[in-house]
Amino acid sequence: MGSRLRLILVSLAIIGSVGYLILSGVKQTGLHYMTVSELARAEKPPEQGGFRLDGRVAIGSVRYDQKTPHLLFQMTDGDEMIGVVYHGLMPDAFGEGREVVVEGTFDAQARTLSATKLVTKCPSKYEAEGLGKDKA
Amino acid sequence: MSELGRLSILLAFLASCFAVGSIAWGLRTGMAGPLKSGRRAVWVVCGLTLLAIVILERALLARDFSFRYVAEHTSLDLPPMYAFSSLWAGQEGSLLLWLFVLSAYGAAFLWAYRKRIDPFYDAVAMVVAGVMVFFTSLLAFVSPPFRILATPPADGNGLNPLLQDPGMMIHPPILYTGYVGFIIPFAFGIAVLLMNRTGTRWIEEVRRWTLFCWMFLGFGVLLGARWAYVELGWGGYWGWDPVENASLMPWLVGTAFLHSVMVEQRRGMMKTWNVALIVLTFELSIFGTFLTRSGVLTSVHSFTESNIGPWFLGFILISSTIATALILYRKALLESENRLDAVVSREGSFLFNNVLFLALTFATFLGTTFPVVSEAVTGAKISVSAPFFNRVNVPIALALLLLTGAGPVLSWKRVTTSVLQRNFLIPAFVGLLATLVGFPFGLHGVYPIVCVFGAAFVIATIVMEFARGIQARKDVAETKGAMAVVSLVEKNKRRYGGYIVHFGMVMIFVGVLGSSVFQKEAHGPLQPGESLALGPYTLKLRGVENRPVANAQHTRAILDVTRGDKYLGPAYPAKAMYFKSQQPMTEIALRQTPAEDLYMILGGVNDDGSASIQAYINPLVSLIWVGGVVMVIGTLIALADRMRLKREEKLGA
Repeated sequence: MGSRLRLILVSLAIIGSVGYLILSGVKQTGLHYMTVSELARAEKPPEQGGFRLDGRVAIGSVRYDQKTPHLLFQMTDGDEMIGVVYHGLMPDAFGEGREVVVEGTFDAQARTLSATKLVTKCPSKYEAEGLGKDKA
Repeated sequence: MSELGRLSILLAFLASCFAVGSIAWGLRTGMAGPLKSGRRAVWVVCGLTLLAIVILERALLARDFSFRYVAEHTSLDLPPMYAFSSLWAGQEGSLLLWLFVLSAYGAAFLWAYRKRIDPFYDAVAMVVAGVMVFFTSLLAFVSPPFRILATPPADGNGLNPLLQDPGMMIHPPILYTGYVGFIIPFAFGIAVLLMNRTGTRWIEEVRRWTLFCWMFLGFGVLLGARWAYVELGWGGYWGWDPVENASLMPWLVGTAFLHSVMVEQRRGMMKTWNVALIVLTFELSIFGTFLTRSGVLTSVHSFTESNIGPWFLGFILISSTIATALILYRKALLESENRLDAVVSREGSFLFNNVLFLALTFATFLGTTFPVVSEAVTGAKISVSAPFFNRVNVPIALALLLLTGAGPVLSWKRVTTSVLQRNFLIPAFVGLLATLVGFPFGLHGVYPIVCVFGAAFVIATIVMEFARGIQARKDVAETKGAMAVVSLVEKNKRRYGGYIVHFGMVMIFVGVLGSSVFQKEAHGPLQPGESLALGPYTLKLRGVENRPVANAQHTRAILDVTRGDKYLGPAYPAKAMYFKSQQPMTEIALRQTPAEDLYMILGGVNDDGSASIQAYINPLVSLIWVGGVVMVIGTLIALADRMRLKREEKLGA
């Protein structure tokens, strides 16, 4: 066997195993990425796998037990709502009306997402809001 | 002053256009005049950008709120050092810093080669100027930093508390020095193709520039991890966040290039591949800037969402198309001089190194952009996060670790069985020994075992290489102990600098292994006098106090920390409430030792007076930071080696 052929075979083996890793990784860890409305209106949400939702924290919906710690809130995209449960400390930037991303498993009966990850987007307060127009 | 700022950016735009045109004209006609004025224009851009930065900094430090940028990112109660660093807190300022680093690289390049009369270097300068045209036009027409408010507010919006951290002052400039620096290797690559340049001298020059910015990029990535660790307050340092991935990807491809370029220097192979890698590294740097600044992907770092995304994508598209077309057009120039003799050889190991690094990059890229990709391919949006990256990237990284041990001790061309035996028997034995020692400590599972084996294996090969080097040189062998190591390194800085970099990388692997396998956590509400047990530690709450600091109100818990029977002193995890933004910020308390970090978070004070405390033991995290410093030292040693450059010079290439 020529060394060139051998090289190609070994490279193919590497690429093949990386491809396998990626495919099986997506299959086992991939999250259904939906909007709140899509998930709330889905008659039969996918049973397998986790979910990722982007949306806002609904005003007046936050219940936080700091001692446990245990965080409950409603997430909305303006139309529909989905309840979210998160066991962990409230992230610093978290608050009502803030944009959040949650990942976790969905209980279709209770219409609740139990989040394993909760990321709060930085508020845009530090950007252009409320400064008025530019001088011409 | 703002008019002067605006004018300087507009002039910088015109000067970069002029530089491109003038050098192109000079290259075409062979006249020295246009080349010279084109080079001068690059200097002018650098000066004008510096002027713009000075004007903006002056406004930031003076809190001149008639500048929109100042009003957006600072406030009167902001400490001056953070007013200074808020230059890179927003998009416009970041782009200005980008342009400044870019033009500084351009000027440094012209200075380094000022004595060379060779149109090739003018062509390099032209490519740099071309990229300057892009950034100056962004700043002049799309994202202007010198916008003036019709009615200046009495106070500004304030700086995001997350950015009020000493690490954040140096992290972006260092990261940018890495990111932006890849323009020089890129420009070299394009110039080689444009000018149909033969010879090998430029390869060594590119290698040195790449090494320089690669070092800054790697260090910047680690500083970012360090910032996430101490500032984000979740107990970890790496979350496979899109922005983290964005900075990692050019580093990975740059690492691949630094290895495969050795094959080109030694054997005249992989030429097309290497040019492609340079181009890819640069494009990924631009892509990283795009990801950070465009807000297409959700990220903890997405401070801005803006209008510049399409511009960056357009730039990436155009520049990579030009590069690809040139590579195809100059195929003959990049013809390989040799063929691979055997798979098990130094060249072979470099090849696999490259395949693995690119696989790592590809998996990271795919994971980062997966929602976009999956929607385009299947119509359903699928997102992946940390579990995916760990699942895919950890085995590839471990394969690379093993290769780090194997590669350097394989000989070029062919390897005989006796060499294999001589070089691998002892390291393999040391590796096995380490796994046996590690087993009772809880290092089970395939990955931890492979990681321990690999780490010990690599360290053993490095030690053996040093020992063999000392023996082989009579003059070195006569000196004693540590001095022998020093004089050996001096004899071949490039080679032994490389081993030191490998050693630093192994430290990082061990640090990551330790902190991910052995992390311990405990939490609970504590009344004053109560304590929380975590491993050998006891955290006893003495009380809670409030105190104002600079621009925030700190609520801090006083914890008396004991380890076993030994009292270690108080720790103060806190919550800061910033006056300006009324946003709480977790200020963790950290006790660092070489063996483990004790990481303490105050979740908050409860109504009944108890404090919610969360604490982690993160073993071996220090090794990650120390490993980073070791890598920088090793790179500096390798950079100090000018031997090969001199040899190429003598050859007159």
